[in-house]
Amino acid sequence: MFETGVRQFRMAMGMVWGRRLDARNIGRLVDDVLATLAEFGEPGTGADEQQLLGGPLAEPAAQREFAVRGLRHTARRLAVRSPFYARRFAAADVQPGRLDMAGLGAIPVTTKQDLIERPGDFLCTDAAVYLTTRTTGTTGRPAEVWLSRYEMELWPALGALGSVLRQDLGPGDIMQVNVSSRATAANHLAAASCRLAKSGCRLLGMVSPDDALDSLAEGGATVLFTYPSYLAELVIAARRRGMSPADFKLRRVTLGGEVLSPSLAQAARQMLGVTQVEDSYSMTEVIPVTGRTCSQSHLHIDLSTGHTELLDLQTGEPAAPGALGTVVITPYFPYRDCMPVFRYDTRDIARRLPDEALACEVSGIPAMSQILGKAGSLLHLGPADVITPRQLIDAIEALPTAPWPARYRATAHGGRIQLTLPAAAITGYGEAAARAHFAESGLDVDLAIVSDDLAASLRHTRSDLREITFATPHALVEA
Amino acid sequence: MTTEPISLLQQTLTEFGVILFGVTAVSAGSLLYFRRVRMERPPIGTFNGRDIVILLVFISALPFLYGTLPNWLITCLLVLTFTSSLFIGYRPVLGATRAWLGIGLLIGLNFWTSRYLMGTTAGWQLWWAELSILVGLGSIAVANLYVQGGMRLQHVAWFALALAAYDIVFATILPLTDKLVAGYLAHPLDPLLGMRFGVDNYGVGLGDLLIYSMFLVAAYKAYGPQAARLAFGLIVVVGACVSAFIPFLINFLDTELDLLVPSQAFFGPAAFLCYLWLKRRYGRERTMAEYRAGAGITPRSTATTQPAPAPEPASV
Repeated sequence: MFETGVRQFRMAMGMVWGRRLDARNIGRLVDDVLATLAEFGEPGTGADEQQLLGGPLAEPAAQREFAVRGLRHTARRLAVRSPFYARRFAAADVQPGRLDMAGLGAIPVTTKQDLIERPGDFLCTDAAVYLTTRTTGTTGRPAEVWLSRYEMELWPALGALGSVLRQDLGPGDIMQVNVSSRATAANHLAAASCRLAKSGCRLLGMVSPDDALDSLAEGGATVLFTYPSYLAELVIAARRRGMSPADFKLRRVTLGGEVLSPSLAQAARQMLGVTQVEDSYSMTEVIPVTGRTCSQSHLHIDLSTGHTELLDLQTGEPAAPGALGTVVITPYFPYRDCMPVFRYDTRDIARRLPDEALACEVSGIPAMSQILGKAGSLLHLGPADVITPRQLIDAIEALPTAPWPARYRATAHGGRIQLTLPAAAITGYGEAAARAHFAESGLDVDLAIVSDDLAASLRHTRSDLREITFATPHALVEA
Repeated sequence: MTTEPISLLQQTLTEFGVILFGVTAVSAGSLLYFRRVRMERPPIGTFNGRDIVILLVFISALPFLYGTLPNWLITCLLVLTFTSSLFIGYRPVLGATRAWLGIGLLIGLNFWTSRYLMGTTAGWQLWWAELSILVGLGSIAVANLYVQGGMRLQHVAWFALALAAYDIVFATILPLTDKLVAGYLAHPLDPLLGMRFGVDNYGVGLGDLLIYSMFLVAAYKAYGPQAARLAFGLIVVVGACVSAFIPFLINFLDTELDLLVPSQAFFGPAAFLCYLWLKRRYGRERTMAEYRAGAGITPRSTATTQPAPAPEPASV
C-alpha cells in the first residue's frame, strides 16, 4: 500500500514535470491493481481512470487548463526536436510556450499527405527508432509511423493499467486478436498489455473465419479484439455452422477501425453470448490517444494523453453544435515520443453534440457523436444535405438479409442517392421492400443491383486483408 | 487525605483489571466496527509484506525521534496522528462535520485536562478516562484501516513477532521506551489507555492495543468466528494476564515492580504460533472480497484421498 502510493506519486510527478514516464513503474502499478482486485474484488474509492492516469478533473475549466499545459509542453519539444514542426511553428509565427486555445488555429493541421511525403521530417532528434507500423491503406496510400522503444513499453503499461482498472482484462483471460498482422503496433500492444495484465494472448491475424471461430470456441478466448467487418464474417460463419453462445467463453468484444452498426453489434451479442461489444476509436497516426463509445452512443476521446478538436469541414474553425466536423488530434509528450504529430487531421467525421450537459456514464469526458465515416466518403445531396457512410452502413446492415459486412457503392445524382448493392443483400426481400427500408432510415435511394462476385469491389473492408495459412490435410496426419 | 501504598498483589490485580478492560473494549470495538462499517480505501493498493517492513522501520525510528524532539513537537505529531486516524475512521460513521466536531472536542478536552486537572487523583482519573476514550477510538480506527486495507493475519503475525524483538531490544538493551513513557506521562495525547488508583498509574500502550485489535479482526476476517474466539482468548491470556502478572513474578526475584512490561515479547511469539496453527487447520486466508461475499470456512480434511488410477496405455 505504501509502495503503491510512492509509485503513483512518481507517475504523477513525471506528468507534472513533463518528463518521460517510467514504464516499469507503471507496470508495477498494474501489479498493484491486480493485487487490489484479488484482495477486494474491486478498486477502491475514486478509481477513476482519467485521474489515475493523471488526466484532468471533470470541470471544463480544469480540462482546458490541462489541455493548454499539454499543448504548450508538446509544442515546446517539437519546436526543438521535430524538423517538420520547427519549420511549421516558425512559419506560423507561433511561440510554443505561449500557445493557447485561441492561438491554436494559427497552426495548420497536419495531413496524412504530409506524413507520406516527408516521414523523416517528423522524427524527433532525441528519440531512437525501434519499430514501424503502417496504416492499412484502406483509405489510400499507407503512411508509415516510427515508434521508439520507450513508446512501445509505455503504451502497453498505460493500456494494461486502464484495462485492469476497468476489469476488462485480467488473470484468466485469453485475448484473441484478429487484426492484420501488418498492424504491428496493435499486435505488439495487445501482446504486451496481456503480459502485464497476466492474461493470455493469441495473435491470429486475419485468418479464415472458420479458423478464428475454432480458436474462439476451443481455445477458450474470453476477449476478442478485431474489426467490425471481420466480426461480421465471424457471425455469419458461426450462423452457418449452427453455433450458439454455449460454444464460446467470451465476455467482451472490442472493435475498432471501422463503423460498427447496431444490427451487427446486436447479432454479435446474441451469437457470441457477450453483453459488451465495445466500439473503440484509435488510429495509427495518433496513438496512444484512444476513444470509447458510451451507452448513449457518444464517442469520448481520452483527455489525459492528447487534445482533440472537431473542426468544421469548410472553415477549419471549431464545428458548431449539431454540425459535422473532422476529428483533429494532438497526442501529448511524454506519451508520444518518436514521430509525433501536432493537430493531425484524421479526416474521420463526427457530429458535434448540442451544448447540453451529458448524462451518460462517462459524462466527465467531453464527447462527440460516433465516427460517421471518412470525409472523402460523404455524399453531398445538397448544400445542407449530407449523407454519411454510417447512415448507409447502418441501414444496409439492418436489412433482414443480414448482408454483413455492408458492401455498397453510393453516389449522388440529382439530390438522390444511387446505391449499388450485391444481389445477396436483397435476395428474398425485393427491391421495393429494400427501398422502403431505406426510406424509413431517411435515405431516398435508387437501387442498382450487381452480381455477388462484384461485392468486394464495391467497398473494401478490413476483413479483405485476409491472411492465408497452410491447411493440414487430415489424411496426411493419419498416414 | 493520605494515600496508603497498596500491596504488590493488589497492584498486579489492578493492572490486570485495567489491561483486561482496555484490551477487551478496544478489541471488541474493533471487531464490531469491522463488521458494521466499511471504510473508504485508496483506489489502488493493498497491504503486503514490504509495507510491514516499512512500518517496522518507522516504528524502530520513533524512540530515537521522540528522544530527540522537544515535547511540544511530539504533541504536534500526536495531534496530527490522532486527528487523521480519527477522521478517517469516524467520518463514515458520523459524517464529516460531526466527526470534526467530535475530534475537536476530544482533543481539546484532553489538552484542557492535561493542563488543569492533574493535581488530584480525581483529576488524574478524569484525564485518564478521557484519554482512554481517545486512544481506544484511535486504535479501533487504525486497526480497521489496516485490516480493511488488506492486511492479512499473516502480516499481523509477522508484525507481532517482529515487535516482540523490538520490545525486548527497547526494554532491555536500549531501554528508551521506559524513559519515553515516564518522560511524556501527563502530557496531552499520551498514547496510553489506563487509569490512576491512589498514587499509581496503570496503563496499556496504544501500540499494544493496536496489535491486539488487528490480530482479532484479521483472524476473524481470515477464518471466521472460531478463529476470532481463539485470538481473543490469546489476547486475554497472554496480552492481559501474562503481561499483568509478569512484574509480580519478576518482583519476587528483584523486588522491583516499577518497570515497563514488554508485552509483545510474550504476545508476539504466541500470536505467530496461533497463526501457524490456524493456517494449518483452515488453509488459505479469506480475502476481503471473500469475507464480504460470506465465503464459508471449512477445516482442512485430514484424511488423504487416493488419486484415481490413471488408465494404462493401450500399447507402447
